[in-house]
Amino acid sequence: MRSVVSILCGLVLLAGCGEVEVLRSARLEQATEFNQRAQRAFQRGEYQAAATLYEQALQIDVAIENVNGIAINTLNLARVNNVLGRSALAQRLLDQLLEDKALHHAPAHLAEAALQKALLRLQANDAADAALWVDRAAVYCESDCRMSGVIDNVRAGIALRANDADKALQLSERAVSANSGVPIEHANALRLMASARLMKKEAEVALRLLEEALVIDKSLGLPEKIRQDLLLSAQAYEMLGKNEQAAQYRDRAARIAATALK
Amino acid sequence: MKLPNYNQRLLSIEKRTQRFMLGAIGVMLLVLAMIAARQDYFSRSTAIYFITPNAQGLSKGMAVKFIGFKVGSVQEVSMQPNATVRVKVSLDDEYVHLIGQDAKARLVKEALVGESVVEIIPGSQQVKQVTQNSVLEFERGQDAGAVVENLAAQLQPILGDIHQITSSINNPGGDVQQTLKNLNLATGGFRETVNQFTQLGVSSNQAMGRINSSLETLDKAIPKLVDKADTTLDNVQSATADIRKITNDSAGEIPSLVRNANALVQDGQETLGGVKKSWLLNSLFTEPEEQILPVDGYVAPTQP
Repeated sequence: MRSVVSILCGLVLLAGCGEVEVLRSARLEQATEFNQRAQRAFQRGEYQAAATLYEQALQIDVAIENVNGIAINTLNLARVNNVLGRSALAQRLLDQLLEDKALHHAPAHLAEAALQKALLRLQANDAADAALWVDRAAVYCESDCRMSGVIDNVRAGIALRANDADKALQLSERAVSANSGVPIEHANALRLMASARLMKKEAEVALRLLEEALVIDKSLGLPEKIRQDLLLSAQAYEMLGKNEQAAQYRDRAARIAATALK
Repeated sequence: MKLPNYNQRLLSIEKRTQRFMLGAIGVMLLVLAMIAARQDYFSRSTAIYFITPNAQGLSKGMAVKFIGFKVGSVQEVSMQPNATVRVKVSLDDEYVHLIGQDAKARLVKEALVGESVVEIIPGSQQVKQVTQNSVLEFERGQDAGAVVENLAAQLQPILGDIHQITSSINNPGGDVQQTLKNLNLATGGFRETVNQFTQLGVSSNQAMGRINSSLETLDKAIPKLVDKADTTLDNVQSATADIRKITNDSAGEIPSLVRNANALVQDGQETLGGVKKSWLLNSLFTEPEEQILPVDGYVAPTQP
């Protein structure tokens, strides 16, 4: 009896070693390679190169009907096109994904598409439409939502546009704790909180928050965010009557803007 | 009361130990069998030999290739009483019929980096195939480094010549520049004559005279110019002929180098792929997947 049990245990252990390998076609591997090269190009700030590579990855994913890849690369392509200033194209890509009736996309991807759409509407100063899209994102994201922190940030941004400092403060405070493990969103939340404080004329508190955000943005190497931190700091110093320091911060921001790097 | 029980337990332990030992021996035999299979102990092979003045670059276990396929390995490298080296090669029987008695063994390096191999250069098809203890002729092939070095050494003086020729072409006091200047002056004089002829309306005789004189100057100048241009072109031609010769000489070696380097890289990739998929290591290498860019939930205000 004992030997039978030993043999069975051995077989169970061996079964653990004999994992069935998932078959990956050469085309899928090629799409993955394009996607990874695009990610690296995006991180280096080579947005045009990233866009071309995402397009190539998307083309392959469409050809082999890799639904997951189609959603991922469409979202990435929308994001990079927005960075390149082609917001109309970005909107079209997101609409394609959100209105796709032929393929069934994962709710997480649809949530992200809706969130990107909200950000584009907010960028176009259409806060009402942005609010609708962020609500839609929250609905898609209902179960296992990993984007609640980002959603809070977008909602805080919408509240700031509506000059609702208290609501913006409340949402950004929630976003700060929700995004503690995501540096980029953590810094975004701090910046939004600082903007809300500035709106409430609390310049000193805002400055402290902006300093914290600046450290994170510098560590991430994000020129546009660094510039925003400096401009908001300048605003805070002006509010405190320290015009010389405000001018210094504006000068620092202008130097970053002159590089035209995003 | 307790002693028989104790003996029974001892017997049981002995039996289990026996079973364990038998199992271990079984596993050992299996491993040995696998190693033996890997070392081609079970495959039928034919031993052939070649003699070489020295053993440099030759070692036991070295692969023997025929038209790019591994057909055997070096079994033994031994020194002979007459201070030569005898190399014993074991060839897989399934390939022996392809190798004639007049085939040659050549020591080659497959790429700029990597192991050397013994390559069997096929002989003529009509000649009888090699048999047990046949002796092949041996030669040493140029390795990749030597080929590149030779190529560089031969190209260097030619590049020097080309440099000299281009410098001479660019030199304002050089033959070519002077030739062009003279040609320019001659055509200028001719143009001037034609202008004068058309604009000032000089008598046709005078003009024709001047045209004749210009043409005479040109007639004298042109052969000299052509001669100088011919010499320059001859130099260039001779340099390009040299380059072509060297390229032709190396043409046989370079594609094989490139092909071999390519095969080496491919082998490396396959090996790495195999290692990545082996059950011991596959958990360390996760399959790459398409990644999504994180959403950036911040929109800069229009006027901060």
